[in-house]
Amino acid sequence: MADALELELKHLIIDTLELEDVTPEDIDREEPLFVEGLGLDSIDALELGLALQKTYGIKLEADSEESRRHFANLKSLAALVEERRVD
Amino acid sequence: MNDASLILEDWRAWHPGRKPAHDPRLSVEERPAAARVAPMLRRRLNNLGRAVCDMLMALDPGAECVLVHASRHGDSERTLEMLYALNEDVPLSPARFGMAVHNAMIGVHSIASGNRRSLQAIAASGAEVSALFSEALGYLMEGEKQVVVVFSDAPIPPRFADHAPGPATTTAVAMRLAMRAAIAGEQSVTALGADESACHEYRPPQPDDVIAWLLGETPLVCPIRRRVWTMAS
Repeated sequence: MADALELELKHLIIDTLELEDVTPEDIDREEPLFVEGLGLDSIDALELGLALQKTYGIKLEADSEESRRHFANLKSLAALVEERRVD
Repeated sequence: MNDASLILEDWRAWHPGRKPAHDPRLSVEERPAAARVAPMLRRRLNNLGRAVCDMLMALDPGAECVLVHASRHGDSERTLEMLYALNEDVPLSPARFGMAVHNAMIGVHSIASGNRRSLQAIAASGAEVSALFSEALGYLMEGEKQVVVVFSDAPIPPRFADHAPGPATTTAVAMRLAMRAAIAGEQSVTALGADESACHEYRPPQPDDVIAWLLGETPLVCPIRRRVWTMAS
């Protein structure tokens, strides 16, 4: 179940952020999503926040410590969705 | 207005599918490679943005030149369509919003190339060519050795087309200009006043008009400023 959600999130990230040449296999569940690892930037963070809101009804504070924790890697993102999704 | 001559050192143009396409400075490919822009930056560029980055990289490989970008309507597809999203209370895409601003393309180019010189983005209601030459002249008279100017435009979305004149094609052109004595084989560009009667048959120049002029096919006239540019070697 967790694997299915993580795969779903990988596709969400790739599609939403228009990541050229990135496949789901390229996204490691424990690697950082931002700056290092996948190398996403601050605009991606806003875009991803919007996608989480649209897809799962999850609203996050734009620049809180809590949001930073949730966006650390795919694993933490999946945990957030698992806990807070409203669909 | 100063009519000092500018030296046209080099140019690049992008006009997908244009014929004839034998000049190596003219790219006619549908999807420019933007190979020197990192994939994480490149993903935010549309074809026009990719072409502009390719041309700027070619004309300013050392990322040392002042850059001036003109576009009459900018990325109207993104900008105007966002208004509909706002009206429908749909949250705006931050990435699309970021790329809708007028200086987005040269902004991405500056990050990709490391160019930290003055970067300027202008719109001039149909007098973009005149504005580009004037801005370049200003920088050169202030002591810049070279200035790269780029002019790009794309058709405005169909539902706005009746309300604003715009280009029919998506094209871009860039020139590296200098102000010094010409060396053999170089072209110098001079602006001259044009009679009002002579201006009537010309539309406000668009990037493809500049390309046609660079290829020696047509004169370059700005009816709004009543100016014509001549090229001589």
